[in-house]
Amino acid sequence: MKVDIRELGQFNHLASEGAKQAAKSLSTLAGIEMDVDVTDVSLVTESVLAETFADRSFVGVELGLQGGLEGETVLALERERALVLQELLLDATDTDYSSKGSTIAKSSVTELGNIMIGGFIDGWANHLDTAINMTPPRYTEANGPRILPDQAIEAAKNHGVFLFESKLSGMDVDLDFSLYMLPEYRQFVQLLSGNDQGNQIPVNRLSTFEELAKEGAGNAAGQIGMMTGLDTNVDVSRLRFVPLSGVPKQVGNDQFVGVVFELTGLPSGYLVVLFDEKSAITIANAMMPGDSTEDEIGSMTEGAIKELGNIMTSGFIDGWANVLQTSIEHSPPNFVHDMGESIMSPVVGKLGQQQDYAFVIDSTIEIDGNEGQCDIYALPNERELARALSALPAQD
Amino acid sequence: MTRDRQRKQSAPIKQVGIAEYAVVTDNTVLSTSGVGSCLGIVLRDSFNDVSGLIHVMLPTAEESRDGNPAKFVDTGLPLVIEEMIEAGASKRRLEGWVVGGSEMLSFSSDGDSIGSRNIAAAKQAFEHYGIDVAGTDVGGSHGRSIRFDPASESVTIQTAKDNTTQTI
Repeated sequence: MKVDIRELGQFNHLASEGAKQAAKSLSTLAGIEMDVDVTDVSLVTESVLAETFADRSFVGVELGLQGGLEGETVLALERERALVLQELLLDATDTDYSSKGSTIAKSSVTELGNIMIGGFIDGWANHLDTAINMTPPRYTEANGPRILPDQAIEAAKNHGVFLFESKLSGMDVDLDFSLYMLPEYRQFVQLLSGNDQGNQIPVNRLSTFEELAKEGAGNAAGQIGMMTGLDTNVDVSRLRFVPLSGVPKQVGNDQFVGVVFELTGLPSGYLVVLFDEKSAITIANAMMPGDSTEDEIGSMTEGAIKELGNIMTSGFIDGWANVLQTSIEHSPPNFVHDMGESIMSPVVGKLGQQQDYAFVIDSTIEIDGNEGQCDIYALPNERELARALSALPAQD
Repeated sequence: MTRDRQRKQSAPIKQVGIAEYAVVTDNTVLSTSGVGSCLGIVLRDSFNDVSGLIHVMLPTAEESRDGNPAKFVDTGLPLVIEEMIEAGASKRRLEGWVVGGSEMLSFSSDGDSIGSRNIAAAKQAFEHYGIDVAGTDVGGSHGRSIRFDPASESVTIQTAKDNTTQTI
């Protein structure tokens, strides 16, 4: 069985459009204007689910899907955000919160979830030209990945689960939440099979994605440790499939210091290593000999970040080359110090000449406990990555 | 007088993402961020009070395999013009601002950079559609965020370097 990248792109588009519908529903019901940040899809295992949802407490509304598309959909908010939403909903419906207590709040959140998920799913039924039935909504509260349905967690243990995530954030209010869609694995793989030979990845190779993410980031983190003597830890590493135009938004518009590399070989692509300004200075000072330090981003920091970036990138692509059994080279570093979205603009521009969606490996490395952080974004050419994965020898 | 006061208090803001565009017929501020090698192009018919903003990534659709027309200068600009005309704008009254097209990265495999090709494509498109150039801030090697305020008919550009802001 093979998965067609274009089909995956089509489903990502449906999820993104669905999330916009859900945002509209919220605006109509409660007058809250939401922006759909980005929609991504990844095949995740139990350990990635644990990392993604770790140390957070959620409130959610869960709905089962049956028929043309089977699986589960969850609207989830972090607990403190749920209180914000409840108050906004009660204001909108003019309900006296203090006298009615949390039962009303729960039922209004459940009703809202029901309507938003309905909007989210409509487009999918149209695309598949079939009916999708929804089970009644269920209000849930849980810590960590337990906010997701048991079936999905079980599937993640066995063969991985496709996780669609759309993030919605308030335009004028401090409110953000995520819509998750977890289609039933076997049926969804059938839906993803296509005819375009050049864009297909054998389904049993999808698990290699996680290896790619882990190997690369693990090597890069090891290199930071060797160069600086600071403790490093790979916090999160995931391979997501996102619309290229959504990549800059994922990086955000804070100021970053970093390096951008062009990769050549199989696959070609780009690798971006970014530090927030404070982390860049911490790292650079740790790398400098003797007492020389810099308080701002100057030529010494630039030199140190370039040198470190070079070594991290070599480690990262060595990890890939091992998994894919190919040869990959990288260009000299391009130093950048700018807004995150602007840094990604030429990268998505260049890839955008060949593709509309991208596999993005997004890894966060913690440095010296919580003192510093480094984000690595790897964007391989999707067709070349598909080719490299397809060419791997059969696995047992 | 009252209307002026209201506008100052809370002009709504419409955020435009990459490869997206928006057209408004009121004082909604149009905003886009992350303009590196991309371009933010603002069009305005002040007589009919119609404004548009598009955030394009690449110069021409023909050099790409597939995609959303709003991604390119040559196919995106006609989309904005068409929607502005539907909203009441007159083609001959259009004026425009072009911002972005910086060269932030250089790789050995590059010919001309995307930034400079985007600028050239915008210049050609403005000439083709007979759009007057009201202002430009292009090139360099830094990113930009853009806000267009229809009320003052000005584009405010924020750059990361030194956190400077300028208005054109």
